[in-house]
Amino acid sequence: MGKKSIRNLWAEGSLTTPSFAWLFIFLLLPMLIILAIALKPADPTGGIGQGWTLKTLMSLRNPNYPEVIFRTLWLSVTTTAITLALATPIAYYIARSTPWKRDLVLFLTVIPFWTSFLIRIFAWKVVLHPDGLLKQALVWCHLISPDTLLLYRPEAVLLVMVYTELPFAILPLYAAAEKFDFSLVEAAMDLGAGRLRAFLSVFVPGIWNGLVSACLMVLIPCIGSYVIPDVVGGKGAAMLGNVIAQRTFTDRNLPAASALAAVLTIVMLLPLFYFLRRNKGGDEGPRPAKEVV
Amino acid sequence: MIKKSKVPGVLTWGTLLFFYLPIFLLILNSFNNSRTGGGWGGFTFQWYVKLFQTREIWHALQNTLIVAFVSTLASIVIGTTAAIALHRYKGRLQNMHYFLVYTPLVVPEILLGISLLLFFVALKVELGIGTVIIAHITFCLSYVTMAVLSRLQDFDMAILEAARDLGANTWTMTWQVLIPNILPGIVAGGLLAFTLSVDDFVISFFVAGPGATTLPIHIYSMIRRGSMPLINALSTVLLAVTFLAILIYQIINRRKAGATS
Amino acid sequence: MEEFLWFKDITKQFGSTKAVDNVSLSIRKGEIFSLLGPSGCGKTTLLRMLAGFESPDKGKIILDGQDITDLAPNKRRVNTVFQNYALFPHMTVWENIAFGLKLLKRPKDEIKREVDRMLNMIQMQDHAYKKPSQISGGQKQRTAIARALILKPSVLLLDEPLAALDLKLRQRMLLELSLIHDEVGVTFIYVTHDQGEAMSISDRIAVMNNGRIEQIGTPAEVYEAPKSSFVAAFIGDTNFFDGKISEVLDDEYCRITVPDLPPMLCFNDKKLAKGELVHLSIRPEKFQISLDEPKLGPKYNVLPGVVEDVVYQGDHTRFWVEVGDDWRISISRQHTRFVLDEKPIQWKDKVYVSWFADDGFMLERYREEDEDLLQTPPQTVGEVEEAQDRDSSTQDLAVNETGD
Repeated sequence: MGKKSIRNLWAEGSLTTPSFAWLFIFLLLPMLIILAIALKPADPTGGIGQGWTLKTLMSLRNPNYPEVIFRTLWLSVTTTAITLALATPIAYYIARSTPWKRDLVLFLTVIPFWTSFLIRIFAWKVVLHPDGLLKQALVWCHLISPDTLLLYRPEAVLLVMVYTELPFAILPLYAAAEKFDFSLVEAAMDLGAGRLRAFLSVFVPGIWNGLVSACLMVLIPCIGSYVIPDVVGGKGAAMLGNVIAQRTFTDRNLPAASALAAVLTIVMLLPLFYFLRRNKGGDEGPRPAKEVV
Repeated sequence: MIKKSKVPGVLTWGTLLFFYLPIFLLILNSFNNSRTGGGWGGFTFQWYVKLFQTREIWHALQNTLIVAFVSTLASIVIGTTAAIALHRYKGRLQNMHYFLVYTPLVVPEILLGISLLLFFVALKVELGIGTVIIAHITFCLSYVTMAVLSRLQDFDMAILEAARDLGANTWTMTWQVLIPNILPGIVAGGLLAFTLSVDDFVISFFVAGPGATTLPIHIYSMIRRGSMPLINALSTVLLAVTFLAILIYQIINRRKAGATS
Repeated sequence: MEEFLWFKDITKQFGSTKAVDNVSLSIRKGEIFSLLGPSGCGKTTLLRMLAGFESPDKGKIILDGQDITDLAPNKRRVNTVFQNYALFPHMTVWENIAFGLKLLKRPKDEIKREVDRMLNMIQMQDHAYKKPSQISGGQKQRTAIARALILKPSVLLLDEPLAALDLKLRQRMLLELSLIHDEVGVTFIYVTHDQGEAMSISDRIAVMNNGRIEQIGTPAEVYEAPKSSFVAAFIGDTNFFDGKISEVLDDEYCRITVPDLPPMLCFNDKKLAKGELVHLSIRPEKFQISLDEPKLGPKYNVLPGVVEDVVYQGDHTRFWVEVGDDWRISISRQHTRFVLDEKPIQWKDKVYVSWFADDGFMLERYREEDEDLLQTPPQTVGEVEEAQDRDSSTQDLAVNETGD
């Protein structure tokens, strides 16, 4: 009995240690270090200075920051809302399609997962470019004046974030819709509900867990966005991620960057805790970054 | 018969168009002789010729592949043992373990990047290809673990008991029965890790030193410098490679499914 | 040393529940021994301890004079046929069967000879190179048996081996199993919750409930002479009357009074005293039913009643007869003659129900928590209604219906 449990412990230990130790050293410690370094002075060469200081934390009172945080939040929330509003009917459509059509649509949705993130963003830079096709088409239709700028504004960031996040919302919603019993929709219509009413009052509550997990999967990466506002957003559309990168690479002030990273962590944890508390016991699976086709 | 609404269908196909239109325009532009891509300046291969003459790209590709291969192999080994441990054992230790494995899946890349950068700087570790590999293993192993774990959950554990019952010791049971059966999960996780590693920009950007430019970092600097036609050409090549890989994967998968069902 | 396989005072606890509670059991060489009981009764735990997947908290398991209690599963001369077969999905039928011999590093030609012999025995020569996903349930079953038997175990364990098959196939596989047993002569330990399976295949049966063994005996013994109410109700159908011994007649017989029924004569094998509360169990087929009052000897009990329900089932008819105010009796009558020639007994007919005093069994009252276990869920709509009807109109008459 005793011998057996010691052998068991040894087996568990040897299977657990590699990943546990790795993630402890390269994930947990670095995350904790963010807080420590925020209390360190900057080093003019771009490193971390000696001693401790509160100066960095004080610098968070920079009047520009509330604006950036607010922009980060509204862009993220709006992106999430638009993405879910689009993805829910799409998931409904995929789940109700014939197997052949379902496979095709899913396949086409999954392909963007496998293509480079940077390239997908860059493609939009080409489309939105002042000399790009979209601009010319819109001017030709007299929808905008020739000197309107499509690129380098918060709306462009919004558009591209929706574009990159949509597949992440469609897949978990489809997984939930697939398990949904569609005879409930027919029952609702049989009882006199209109199509929209049946969709909103039967289908949407039926896939609620999927909606919550899709919401988190979109919202959290949006809050941490960096590349999209950097490439299509410009100065007036900077988000928290951009400021962190600027402190790191341009100002070479690592303590300031880590103080901001701590702020980002808090901003990110807020919705996470809100959902976890509301949805206690609900399952939210891991973000399936790239589903295997 | 209740008439179906057309709205979801229109939305779906409209969204798919939205997915592919920019990519399609990008491919088209890579053959466009006009520098800005504003109008059609005639068909050309010149951007591709220039692309293949750029030495930095080949160097960046080499770095990317080294990082991807090493971190995929390492995360397959670490991730598979993690999945087996998580599946076989329960308790406080494994709850903590699961939390650690799960975290990289939900934390924004920029946080992983900045925290590792601070960690390396604080420990005075020189940034380079080694730090990029460490960073990639850290997030790739979580994806491998999840892929293998989902395969293990579909796996009938009685099969392992059957192997023991027929005289297998732990070693033969693991290598002749367990591993062959969770191999699809390991392969899927490995493929996922590989593509994530090849594609990763944000984390690499933070932890790569000046010498360790990977392909995404190089593409990013090209985007910043604004050599648009060259990126069009490079993107098209990469897209072609991706599509080819997906196609081959699908064919292999179909054939396998056909053979066993 | 005469014991072949001996479980000695085995106890196994999972958390706070005792899965196996101080069980001792001796199994003879070469027999087919069944562990029968409802799910959660501890039969599977007992089997898994014998296979080596669990180790008992207390007690010993001795096989052929060797204490195997703490031996690893791969070191025991005991092999298992798993509930869902547990065939290796990545190997062919041939490779599955050869697995154990390959591990023993036997020479190639011997492995081939042995596997072919096994394939021949289970008549699967034509499917040797198929994967488990390509063969039928019955074929998987046979492959699993061959895979276990090729190692020539001292004991073959079968854990609900037929549970995943449909009824027809189950009956055929039972026959095949006994043929295989006759051929190899290995001791079989057969775990099942299906009394029909256990009755038809076993030399002896151990009926288990709540981690304890209720009775061990041949199929006829446990059916005809159940030692407890649980066994009486679990094996086959029975009728229970709730009564009290009002009079002990002589050494052999006693009289039992049941509320609002005439006193009944019963064989008193347990030598119970006057005043004791008992269950009187009578199997449905032990009753005779007739329209006219039968002329029978003094050792017969006769009750007048009214037919409440008649279910014609081909080989027999099942009658539900109400006697007294509230008692409903289930009676089964075999059709030994051409039924259509007889005057039929119909709904609402006044009938006489009779049985021989020796056919009744006095048993202790069963525990209330067992009641759920004894009610197997009805299978057809008709039976559901029947069951509900029965529930509403009977008080203490527990009638258990297990698919027969």
